[in-house]
Amino acid sequence: MLDAARTPSLPIRSMPETPWFTAEAVDAETRLRLAGAWRLSRLEALESACDTLELSGRTAVDGSALEQIDSAGALVLLRLLRRHGVEDPAWSGFSDAHERIVEQVRRHLDGVEAAPAPDGIRALAWFGRQSAQIGELLHGHLNFLGATVATLAETVLRPSRLRLRELTVQLEQTGLSAIPVVSLVTLLIGVVMAYLLGLQAEKYGANIFVVDGVAIGATREFAPIIVAVIVAGRSGASFTAQLGSMRLTEETDAIRTLGLAPMQVLVLPRVLALMLALPLLVFVGDVMSLLGAMAIAQPMLDIPPTAFLARLREQLPLRHVLVGLGKAPVFALVIAVIGARMGMTVGRDTRALGAATTSTVVQSIVAVILLDAAFAILLQALDL
Amino acid sequence: MSDVVVEVEDVVTRFGAQTVHDGVSFTVRRGTLVALIGGSGTGKSVLLREMIGLQRPSAGRLRLFGTDMWAAPAAEVDAVRRRFGMMFQDGALFSSLTVAQNVAVPLREHTHIAPDTVDALVALRLHQAGLPADAGAKMPSELSGGMRKRAAIARAIALEPEILFLDEPTSGLDPITARGFDRMVRSLVDDLGLTVFLVTHDLDTLLGVVERLIVLSNGKVLADGTVPQVMAVDDPWVRDYFSVRRMGGEIPVHGS
Repeated sequence: MLDAARTPSLPIRSMPETPWFTAEAVDAETRLRLAGAWRLSRLEALESACDTLELSGRTAVDGSALEQIDSAGALVLLRLLRRHGVEDPAWSGFSDAHERIVEQVRRHLDGVEAAPAPDGIRALAWFGRQSAQIGELLHGHLNFLGATVATLAETVLRPSRLRLRELTVQLEQTGLSAIPVVSLVTLLIGVVMAYLLGLQAEKYGANIFVVDGVAIGATREFAPIIVAVIVAGRSGASFTAQLGSMRLTEETDAIRTLGLAPMQVLVLPRVLALMLALPLLVFVGDVMSLLGAMAIAQPMLDIPPTAFLARLREQLPLRHVLVGLGKAPVFALVIAVIGARMGMTVGRDTRALGAATTSTVVQSIVAVILLDAAFAILLQALDL
Repeated sequence: MSDVVVEVEDVVTRFGAQTVHDGVSFTVRRGTLVALIGGSGTGKSVLLREMIGLQRPSAGRLRLFGTDMWAAPAAEVDAVRRRFGMMFQDGALFSSLTVAQNVAVPLREHTHIAPDTVDALVALRLHQAGLPADAGAKMPSELSGGMRKRAAIARAIALEPEILFLDEPTSGLDPITARGFDRMVRSLVDDLGLTVFLVTHDLDTLLGVVERLIVLSNGKVLADGTVPQVMAVDDPWVRDYFSVRRMGGEIPVHGS
């Protein structure tokens, strides 16, 4: 293609010289002589050198002095040529290996159509999508709750189907082993409540009323909420993680193919265990928060334990304790259903499992607090 | 530039009292496609991890491009890391990034190439790995097993490495996908001049595209040579390994 014997005429305009190419204009043709190494490691400098180049009209590319070219270098070369509107230059002097690389990249570029840029997500569309997702999520939870209740009804009709072993294991994990952390947290809550109330009550010489405040506040509101939040973080998250990883390893599918129902084998024992364990934990929380208050009442408010207990008997109607304990199974049901459902529907990759576990904790805590608010309004209306 | 790119010399690996490698030595030349085979528990993957500097051998030297991966200063080893690519068995794609972002990670971390060139390079890598252009926007979890492996290859060759290490490239793929994968790997060697070193169990890969075979057995290199040479070795494991094909009669061997 390139005639070496032909004496080049004077360059029409000056062309840059770089380590990678020399360009000269001969008659109406631009001759691009490649040299050196067109490699990815030098791509940045190579590209800025290419920016200085002007090509026009017919172009001949001579690769005889080219030492190395890799596919990234070939990509830059071909993009350079196309940018200047050179679709079909005259190639010459390329070694076989270099030609194969250039040819492969050329075939790739021929097949590329400009990919449409993804639409920017508009705020309103995002809001709509999120709302629809939340709606779908709640709908799914409701569905799962229904399925759980149906399974429960089936089990009530045929009690032999209940997995007692799994139930006891779950009772131990969600109930027994949660006692230390629940005790510690509620004990401290009792201390803090008595201390803060005591600071105010002391001013009016109304020390003894601290007992009333702590007793009603802890048993009716604080113990159930705090214990439910702890359990949401402990057991709700672990339900999602356990069931989700069983789904990843296809254990749930294996259960199904063996003719067993995952709802019966996996979900129901967990839901029942949590519904049994949470009221018991709330009771532990009641006792511990009162003990905490009693412990600080003597040194701070001069209320000896005997006076504290006597006042407790007079001023703590049983209904407050029962209201607190009565809320617990409802909280437990919601936490267990959310945890189990998020685990049973997790996507089949590890990232989805992590996201689902986090989501379980957030959803459970929000649900517990919303439910508690609903209870407060309802019980107020019922005069309880 | 030296012709030998991988040198493994008297490598010994022990886990407690168990000796996995007991003096393994071989070299790999530039521009070849070499496979390492061996029964389960012969330490193929362990050797691969030692070669790329992920796991320290108990004794011996492993050199890539003349750099001892376990004795050279960290900066030198880092420079070598940019000259090879590795495909892990299940792809090891970053699950929080799209496929295109996965392929762009090494380009963005190790170079200062302009963003639109990076995008063009990513598209080229996906093409070279045999993926359709629209795969770039997908998340790894949306891909099939075969596509995930191709995406992993695209990321491994992003920086235009001189050697590509593949751990079980065709495991878990159906035969048709696996053969397509073999052809793609072969084209990387033929068209781009890469050196490929792979650990495999797949007999069809060996017979189809591999130039040289290294057999690991009892902690040593049992056989090393072209496929017909290795098949002629008189050893019970090698005989059993190839017996399936012998019964079939015809054995198509690459390059013969």
